[in-house]
Amino acid sequence: MPSKSGGCSWLIRGFATTAAGAGSSIGNPITIFTSSSALGEIDRQNPRLNALASSVPPAAVSDTLDKTIHGPLQEWPVVVKSNIATGGTTTTCASQTLAKYISPFTATAVDLLQKAGAVVVGTSNMDEFGMGSKTQFGIYGPAYNPHQIDASRHSPGGSSGGSAAAVASGMCRIALGSDTGGSVRLPAAWCGVVGFKPTYGRISRHGLVSYASSLDAVGILASTVHDIETAYHIMAVPDSKDMTCMSGSLRDRIDSERPLAGIRIGIPQEFWVEELTESALDAWRHGAQQLAEAGCEIVKVSLPHIPSSLPAYYTLALAEASSNLARYDGIRFGTRSSVRTQILALANASLKYAATRSEGFGPEVQRRILLGTYVMSDSAYQHYYLPSQRIRQLIQREFDQIFALPNALCNSSIATLGNQHRPDGVDAILFPTSNGTAPLQHDSADESSQVSSYVNDVMTVPANLAGIPALSVPVRHSHGMPIGLQLAAQYGDDNLLLQIASHVRLQSCE
Amino acid sequence: MHRLQSLRTFCLNHSRGGVSAPVLCTKPRHRKDTLVQKRAVGSIAQEARKETADNEFKATIGLELHAQLAASQKLFSAASAQWNEPPNTNVCAIDAGLPGALPQLNPRCVELAARAILAFGGRVQQRSSFDRKHYFYADQPLGYQITQQHYPIGRGGYIQLGPTDGLNYSKRVHIHQLQLEQDTAKSIHGVYPGYVLVDLNRAGVALIEIVSDPDIETAIEASTYVRKMQTLLRHIGVSNCNMEEGSLRCDVNVSVYRIGEDRLSGARCELKNLNSLKTIRGAIGAEIARQTEIIRKGGYVEQETRGYDARCDKTYPLRSKETAPDYRYMPEPDVPEIHLSQDWIERVQSALPEMPEMTLARVRLQYSLTQEDVATMLNEPGCLAFFEESVQGRDPKRVSSWITSEIFGQLSYRNQKLIDSPLTVQQFAQILDSISTDLITSAQAKQLLIAFMDGEKRHVSDLIKAHGWEVIGDESRLQGIAEDLLEKHPKEVAGYLKGQTRRLNFFVGKLMQLTKGQAKPQEANRIIRKLLESKR
Repeated sequence: MPSKSGGCSWLIRGFATTAAGAGSSIGNPITIFTSSSALGEIDRQNPRLNALASSVPPAAVSDTLDKTIHGPLQEWPVVVKSNIATGGTTTTCASQTLAKYISPFTATAVDLLQKAGAVVVGTSNMDEFGMGSKTQFGIYGPAYNPHQIDASRHSPGGSSGGSAAAVASGMCRIALGSDTGGSVRLPAAWCGVVGFKPTYGRISRHGLVSYASSLDAVGILASTVHDIETAYHIMAVPDSKDMTCMSGSLRDRIDSERPLAGIRIGIPQEFWVEELTESALDAWRHGAQQLAEAGCEIVKVSLPHIPSSLPAYYTLALAEASSNLARYDGIRFGTRSSVRTQILALANASLKYAATRSEGFGPEVQRRILLGTYVMSDSAYQHYYLPSQRIRQLIQREFDQIFALPNALCNSSIATLGNQHRPDGVDAILFPTSNGTAPLQHDSADESSQVSSYVNDVMTVPANLAGIPALSVPVRHSHGMPIGLQLAAQYGDDNLLLQIASHVRLQSCE
Repeated sequence: MHRLQSLRTFCLNHSRGGVSAPVLCTKPRHRKDTLVQKRAVGSIAQEARKETADNEFKATIGLELHAQLAASQKLFSAASAQWNEPPNTNVCAIDAGLPGALPQLNPRCVELAARAILAFGGRVQQRSSFDRKHYFYADQPLGYQITQQHYPIGRGGYIQLGPTDGLNYSKRVHIHQLQLEQDTAKSIHGVYPGYVLVDLNRAGVALIEIVSDPDIETAIEASTYVRKMQTLLRHIGVSNCNMEEGSLRCDVNVSVYRIGEDRLSGARCELKNLNSLKTIRGAIGAEIARQTEIIRKGGYVEQETRGYDARCDKTYPLRSKETAPDYRYMPEPDVPEIHLSQDWIERVQSALPEMPEMTLARVRLQYSLTQEDVATMLNEPGCLAFFEESVQGRDPKRVSSWITSEIFGQLSYRNQKLIDSPLTVQQFAQILDSISTDLITSAQAKQLLIAFMDGEKRHVSDLIKAHGWEVIGDESRLQGIAEDLLEKHPKEVAGYLKGQTRRLNFFVGKLMQLTKGQAKPQEANRIIRKLLESKR
């Protein structure tokens, strides 16, 4: 297993040398995790949190445990997001259209976890097809944040909110999520756990139900960076079933050893936005200070096109979504409208499609499909889609300019990247995961404007547009609610990113 | 690979109406076109010039050919691409558009597409990519077709048409682009009233779309181009190009302009689903006539998509420009760009067989055969190789005439292709050799040929023995039998000597009868004549 555990003592000066990074924010950090403790938490907490879409019956879990698979994840209880195909249970995407759908195959990521000994204990609640930031749009109803102050009930974030809440409440040791524009990192930050979106193509997408194929990534949520690292190395392997999954040779080229001396962390000033709350700023300062104390050099960097990333992201993501969701016509699988069309005319087929898709998709999914269909139409393509693609390229280029490591995709001729390290570049960047802490799940002011809910994604979408690895770690609490900080690194530099992240610790003081 | 055995047939409980020919004309009108196809190749040349609009107008025609690739698996899945199997048995998860399934490009299809464009003398693009073309249809499982709209795998090249193809002039039809794309599923109408059935076996099978430049000017040129393309694609093993099975389909763009004006000035109409050479010719002729008539009357041709009703030889509107679908093309994010090295392209190039045009010239020259014989053999897949192997050390004219008359006769009687026949080159060569060494007669050889084409496995010599067919080559034995005959028929002998020469045939016939055909007629004739003459 490739790991850069040697030669990093400079980074951990002044810190305990345990591998565990951030501890669980909920009461007792779980030391010995078993399937039975997880099942207990599911019983005890899920009625309140609604984190799970389905749970595997205890009998089935013990059945699996009887056929013990010896591996690095032996008996790890795992929760899988409902948009990742898991054999033997439904893969619903929290949508009416797939309410009873059971996939005939299992996603590569889930398969690898199971082969390493992990036990799937449930599937998680989510926003329908991953479209949302609060885990509120889906057939299972809203999920709630395990962090509760008085009687107020906060959102766990979304769209992988069920996965984040499950990890934070001890229902599982790790959870799988999907991250198209921050869907793993945002709920991780709001629930006070670690959420990792690897480099695009590191983990196979085979079995992940596509939202926006060029942005989608299977992500991991856990209480510690160490657990994430362990699970990540199990899943980050080539897969012929996904042509966009990184090849073995590309991995070898990137993962080759390189000097670790003098880690530089960039603070991208464009994330210093007006909407940033005081507590988020405070967390940012605090995180930078921690890394500086650990021996990192902190420098200011600039990514001028970051402000354009949100419109570009929504244009591209929704265009791809309208395309990817075209297959849900109720003909071969999924829910089909029972409305019988009366007229035997040529237009009948489209009436049938309309009825099936209107009944099958919730309002947010319909809204996004319509927007996506519009930006791809003949007249809008030139004005929206193409400029958005150009912005995406500009953002990718800007990241390449600030990172010390060259982008492996732009340097196919270079045998190993380690030697091409640029001394004036940074190794990672540090910035907030969200503007503030988790909002209330039922916030009437928020519902009044759909646009304001999209604004939450401004911190997280650049990493998806550039395909680079990014991770959210909990650093502080503000009024009892957790705040996360984000670290991102060059394309393929996942190992270094995890290593740096393992030295950011949650500070319990307010 | 996940086969979806449970998804036997998908029903959609409504009728889509389909594109059954609308009631456009009640009186069937017979045009000369029905005769055209029966004419010999030579007379097509005269027809060709007549098929242009007339002295005042000319037509500009471009073709889009869709050929199914002869790959055993689909373009993006491991499912079999076999034609004609039970419905919904060759289906992988991606072919049914199941959630979470992703396409996996089949490298064999890329190679076949590259072969095709290189055979036209065009260029394989070192970088090409796929796009999604969106539309909702029961036979489109993903809601889009994966195709190559913007960066196709092949560009350039041409097809040369000329006297060898039955035209009395030469012209080049240039290839605009060649793209890889998925075939759709098959919707089946009318089997189950009120329902449309969907068979996914064809969904995702690899096609190449070959788009020509608008170089074609007549219906005859168009059908000649398609025929030539068929021969070429079969010859290089890229496609079976069988129009009846649907492995070759054709859309045509036709516009008409007044001579003297820009040849691209006319509004063009697309004719869809022309799936035989006859309909291609008929539809283009009818469309040229329709557009010419409109312009002549001072009207404007509307840009639209039209179908062809062969019964009344007219084209009819399918959809207008206003109702044309917006396909919302988008780069395919699940399939990375294809990068092909110069090395790889050169390897594909060097693996190409000799092109039919070259083969035709070479074989004619090398074996001194006629144009027709070589062309006939060229059109039968695998036949020229069969000929060239069996001709070794034998008379080329005899070998080719045996192939084109006897073997082809049997193939057509059996409705079979040479490549599917059990007849081997060795068997054929033994038959030929047995005739030339006078072991058997031609009549017997033909019987052997039929036996081998029926699947006979025994050696020629064993069969000859089993039939007791060996030719009596021993002259003294024949002479003995002949002498007996003459003795038994003194009247006929006398008749011959009196000048009734046809008595000779009587004796030859008798001799053949007695030897059960094992004597060679010429030999029998010679011996009997010698005996009769000796009696003078």
